[in-house]
Amino acid sequence: MPELTTRIGDLTMRSPVMLASGTVGYGPEYEGVIDFGATGAIVTKTITVEPREGNAPPRLVETPGGLLNAIGLENVGLERFLAEKLPEAAPLPVPIVASVAGTGAGQFAQLAAAVGERDEVAAIELNISCPNVERPRNPVWSDPVAVGEIVSAAREATGKTLSLKLSPNTSDILSVAEAAERAGADALTVANTLPGMRIDIERRRPALGNVTGGLSGRALMPVNLALVWKVAEHVSIPVIGSGGIGDTGDALEFLAAGAVAVQVGTALFATPEAPSEIADGLRNYMEENGFASIDELVGMAREERRTCAETA
Amino acid sequence: MSPTSYLFTFEAGPEFPTPRPGQFVNVAVADDLTLRRPFSFAGIPAPGRFDLLVEMRGKGTRALAEKPIGSAVGVLGPLGNEFTLPGADSVSLLVGGGIGVAGLRLLAQELRRGYHRIHALVGARTSPGLLHHVLPSPTGDGEVLIEVATDDGSEGFHGTVAGLLERVLNELDAPARVYCCGPPAMIAATADITAKRGVPCEALLEEMMACGVGACRGCVVATRSGYKSVCSDGPVFDTNELVLEELVRA
Repeated sequence: MPELTTRIGDLTMRSPVMLASGTVGYGPEYEGVIDFGATGAIVTKTITVEPREGNAPPRLVETPGGLLNAIGLENVGLERFLAEKLPEAAPLPVPIVASVAGTGAGQFAQLAAAVGERDEVAAIELNISCPNVERPRNPVWSDPVAVGEIVSAAREATGKTLSLKLSPNTSDILSVAEAAERAGADALTVANTLPGMRIDIERRRPALGNVTGGLSGRALMPVNLALVWKVAEHVSIPVIGSGGIGDTGDALEFLAAGAVAVQVGTALFATPEAPSEIADGLRNYMEENGFASIDELVGMAREERRTCAETA
Repeated sequence: MSPTSYLFTFEAGPEFPTPRPGQFVNVAVADDLTLRRPFSFAGIPAPGRFDLLVEMRGKGTRALAEKPIGSAVGVLGPLGNEFTLPGADSVSLLVGGGIGVAGLRLLAQELRRGYHRIHALVGARTSPGLLHHVLPSPTGDGEVLIEVATDDGSEGFHGTVAGLLERVLNELDAPARVYCCGPPAMIAATADITAKRGVPCEALLEEMMACGVGACRGCVVATRSGYKSVCSDGPVFDTNELVLEELVRA
């Protein structure tokens, strides 16, 4: 029987299929719908220090093969997350990764310390890449110096496993990845959504209340796959693939590119069964092709890995 | 049911919970669409079955209409909250605009079974769009009354269904409870009219949805206590809670 266990820092997961931040709420919303038992971990909605109302509606518009969202990091804030949401999510049979976003290194440290000291939190994802909140012209996700400061501050604040969620919307993702690794990140989540928009011609205005939103879903998959390929080669910390993963084939491609785990998000909306189907699919693939562990799949399409397999 | 709408019956099986009036179901209408489509339950023809009344409007609804009879379709539900049923002595005014009648049909059937007085007001732009015939038939004793309104005056009251509601409320001699479903402007007008008279009113809202269970916060509506999810806090809202300007603007 092939072994689906995979590891990110101190977090050992029974399956490499995680659920992406923003799509599963705080977890309990999906109880009875998603099979959490077949899931490696859930990543919560991003928590900010203060509660956020989020953007004016409409917040969603479907696109060919994808979805644009402009939720705007609506969340209950750190205090209510710790007091209510975390205890409610704790009984779910799945590790919880808390996603957090601050306005700067100080807030990231505050958030990482606060969620990091809770036993219910298995790991922390630092979200520096939401495209839907106010930002300066030079977004933090493109700034290796700022990213290094954020990761260092969070690193000092907690001993819990830290993954940094990168943005695909940058010309030099490798410098950012490098800065995060140097500053002590345990893993990188590659990657968030790409900015985009639609216009409602009938009403002659942008389809989203926020004008632009983040593109997710199948249309994003090849973009983020290419980023995983690049980043995985460049850093020695584990990479978690994210972006339009909807079935076993997609998950295999991300693993083959060098990801040690994958996050499923938008696919849950049409197919809440996707995480368990992908876990089953991976197991079948491994059985049929003689793989014993997820480690053997990671990077299997990379030349160094292929050469190694051929000479063995 | 009208030139652009269809009634579908789904065989959901005995395990499917019995839907309540106001609740909805998310339907996986096509493999190539990112999102499921939410539809109000529009009837329970037999235990384990439900009806959906669907207007062909876009890719999703068209994909559903094109499915051969007997197709297997993934559904998630029943989802959402439900209408507050009326007191025994009040008249239920059901105000439906266009395909909004779909959201009131199960309620009308349930009220009818409980021998409540129903006065349905059904509006559409033009006569062929009227869907009053999907509601329980009018009775001779006045227990079920149906009136129609068309924007162009081609049938019934000449004007909006909210205008018709105003006239009906002015003439009504019993306590009333209003239930409405339809375009945002119609809901806002209905909310205004009922608020002025102190008549309780609930609206069933429609919104683009992703998760359907309150997780993604994609389908929010502005209320006096902040944004609420149409899928999990609603889809039924007390209209006094809604921020009407934002409802119409969005």
